[in-house]
Amino acid sequence: MARLEFLNRFARNRGALIGAGLILLVAVAALLAPVLYPTDPLRIVGAPELWPGEDPDFPLGTDSLGRDILAMIVHGARATLLIGLFASAVATLIGVTVGAIAGYFGGWVDEIAMRASELFQTIPNLIFVLTIVVILGSTLTNIVIAIGIVTWTPIARMTRAEFLALRDREFVQACRAMGMDDFRIIVGEILPNALPPVIVLSSLVVAGAILFESAVSFLGLGDPNLASWGRLVGDGRLLIRSSWYICAIPGVAIMVTVLCLNLIGDGLNDALNPKLRDR
Amino acid sequence: MASIASTGASARQRAALRLLGRRLVQAVPLLLGVVVINFCLIQLAPGSFLELMTAENQVSDPATVELLRKTYGLDDPIWMQLLKYIWALLHFDFGFSYRQNMPVIEAIGVHLPATLLLMVSSITLAMTVGVAAGVVASMKVRTFWDSLVSVAAMFFYAAPSFWLGIMLIVLFSVKLGWLPVGGMATIGGDGGMLDILHHLILPTLALGLFYAAIYTRVMRSSMLEVSQADFVRTARAKGLSRNKVTIAHVLRNALLPVVTILGVQMGTVLAGSVVIESVFSWPGIGSLLFDSVSSRNYPVVLGIMVLGSLVVIVANIAVDLIYMWLDPRIEIR
Amino acid sequence: MSLPLEVKDLRTTLFTRRGEMKAVDGLSLSIGAGETVALVGESGCGKSLSALSIMRLLPDPPARIVGGAVRLNGRDIVPLGEEAMLDIRGKEIGMIFQDPMSALNPVATVEKQIAEVVTTHTDLGRGQARARAHELLELVGMPDAGRRLDAYPHQLSGGMCQRVVIAMAIACSPSVLIADEPTTALDVTVQAQVLALLKRLQTDSGMAMLFITHDLGVVAETADRVVVMYAGRKVEEAPVDDLFDRPLHPYTVGLIGATPIPGAERAERLADIPGMVPPLNALPKGCAFAPRCKRVMERCRHEQPALTEPVPGRLVACFAAEEG
Repeated sequence: MARLEFLNRFARNRGALIGAGLILLVAVAALLAPVLYPTDPLRIVGAPELWPGEDPDFPLGTDSLGRDILAMIVHGARATLLIGLFASAVATLIGVTVGAIAGYFGGWVDEIAMRASELFQTIPNLIFVLTIVVILGSTLTNIVIAIGIVTWTPIARMTRAEFLALRDREFVQACRAMGMDDFRIIVGEILPNALPPVIVLSSLVVAGAILFESAVSFLGLGDPNLASWGRLVGDGRLLIRSSWYICAIPGVAIMVTVLCLNLIGDGLNDALNPKLRDR
Repeated sequence: MASIASTGASARQRAALRLLGRRLVQAVPLLLGVVVINFCLIQLAPGSFLELMTAENQVSDPATVELLRKTYGLDDPIWMQLLKYIWALLHFDFGFSYRQNMPVIEAIGVHLPATLLLMVSSITLAMTVGVAAGVVASMKVRTFWDSLVSVAAMFFYAAPSFWLGIMLIVLFSVKLGWLPVGGMATIGGDGGMLDILHHLILPTLALGLFYAAIYTRVMRSSMLEVSQADFVRTARAKGLSRNKVTIAHVLRNALLPVVTILGVQMGTVLAGSVVIESVFSWPGIGSLLFDSVSSRNYPVVLGIMVLGSLVVIVANIAVDLIYMWLDPRIEIR
Repeated sequence: MSLPLEVKDLRTTLFTRRGEMKAVDGLSLSIGAGETVALVGESGCGKSLSALSIMRLLPDPPARIVGGAVRLNGRDIVPLGEEAMLDIRGKEIGMIFQDPMSALNPVATVEKQIAEVVTTHTDLGRGQARARAHELLELVGMPDAGRRLDAYPHQLSGGMCQRVVIAMAIACSPSVLIADEPTTALDVTVQAQVLALLKRLQTDSGMAMLFITHDLGVVAETADRVVVMYAGRKVEEAPVDDLFDRPLHPYTVGLIGATPIPGAERAERLADIPGMVPPLNALPKGCAFAPRCKRVMERCRHEQPALTEPVPGRLVACFAAEEG
């Protein structure tokens, strides 16, 4: 049973397990945010600029206005994870589509797709995102789409490579001989086989999207209604001399989340390619 | 098998020139693509193109408005507008920035050197640290040093660069007072080279360590892979010491994948400097972009996108040439 | 006067997760000046590891010399440290390998790679080293040697690459040259050229040569004496003509019987002996060849035959051969 073996190999990687475990924790916290902290995290609840540990009511301290940092972190998890997931969904959708078409049809279609991916790789990605956001507005949708537009190229390349390898295989030729149309072959036959490496890439894509979103909100250009971790870091900038923990804590949260996703990605990679494992 | 005539330095120079020519030709459609995307974004924006270009009451003089109308062909069909836009750009007319009170291209030009300086120093740091750490990790594989390097790389790869920048400021500026908090030169200072370098340290670390982490990983696995190659065995059979073999034979071959990756990441390095410049008040195009975004200075924003892409293209060509120099097997078709 | 190479009871073990494998189990051989000894056997019999053991180039982990002596011009090099070995490799003993195209550093010129050996072991400067490299290329018969000095390996054919490798190996006039399947990866015509080159170099310098191969056709052409290995042990040794005239060990008989007449199409016929070499961590009790042997007796399954000398100059480890 290939899937069981895959999970087995994944489980043997300690780092990946730790990563998966922590991510689960973060996801659960994000889901339970309204339960754990039912009140609006942006409400002022205590004295301003309390250090972590000063007041047992606020384990992670309060910010410049007196808001509970832990509450903001837990709620921020939602924003950060949501945007990360949606943005990578967009990127995956675009990337897989472009890659599949390029890899399957080849020829000038492939050429155009390759030129397009080169184009999107040439434009400095954050500059592109900021340009889109500033011209079209800082809404959640715009940010998600902008990040997706900027991060689809590696997925496209990987999908294309898989399609190139698979399109000349016997089972595909058999389908063609049966008279199956291209769309059904691409989506029904080849795509399911091409997906595993894309799935491996996906956790890294989510990590990248989270870093992106953090940078955009750090600069104050994110959706004003969402207090993601990046925005928290940005808000704390003015106080780094006295209360630098306000910047530090959300940043650590981002780092830990991204680290876990990377570990999971490594674990998936090792599980998928056991022969290529590093000694 | 190549002929005898294609050995030697002059043959490689000719191949390098051919590469340069081809890449410059390829750059044209790329830039055109960027311009088209720019144009599409402008068209998609709420409000008209004119409002974009004259936004925030930068221009209210009707004569200037009329001139802009003609230059950008705003009464003409869309494709005509696109052509006029391209035509304007070809003349390096990116518009005028009232905020800086100079043509956009000048405004960008003034800020570009600072960003280039930051980019170059970050890449240099990343390559030096990454390659060195990767080599050390591979030579001491499976020991404490290897694990240390790998763990450090993991953290720097996951840490958001803006946060890292802030933490570095807290440690080295606020707590220790060794390094300046921001800016490129001390206000009221002499602005000399040493002063600039002093200010360059923290931004370079903040931007470069992320890439150093990537290169460390790649270099390490590349070194391990190349060490298994046949020619390494031959080198040892010649009586060369392990270290000599590693440095003289393995390293040069293991470097190739790292250089390849460097090329791919040029765009992200430039983008990363935008955030770092904001954190450190570094006066490069990142700061200009941020300022222009906040003040809705669209001509500058769009100009930065085009010129930023140009920088990436040029940097990519440079990396390709370096790769060619390192690997004599590359045949330019 | 001591022999250029004397191997006495060499034992090399592979320490792996799947157990210890006695890759080389008590090999002894000696080569005189100007003599060529061929070491033959199937892949996995331990011949390459023997060569690497002699050169002290074993990948450690997992391989290690666990016993025996290797005397190079009378001096045992097994106990020597790595520093001392650096002086010996490439200078007193040289080695050439199987795939010439991958044996050379792809990003360095021919001249640089040959000059490297010279500058490592002698006091010659860069310019002199270059001249010496040129000399060596001509010595190994490289056409248009002057231009080829600045070529990169990918610009040369397989035969030319092997000439470069040979040039590097003999640059410091070693007393011993080990050749590990040097012609296996080359075409037949080039093979003949390289073998002729090696013979000429040997005659001119008087160096001893250990020639490792699985191709008996090559053995017939180049060797003075032959050592046959099986599962890490020497099973037969004889002067080349005697070996082909009257092979004593059933394994040798199988090898030679499987090889077509020289002159006919060169082919590897070792698969004609039914069965496979046993895994080294699960050797059968008794003679390792017993499961595949045509002349197997009950005794063979319980006792390991020792090397005997039925005729002066010939060694064989076989109970059946002892009986005649």
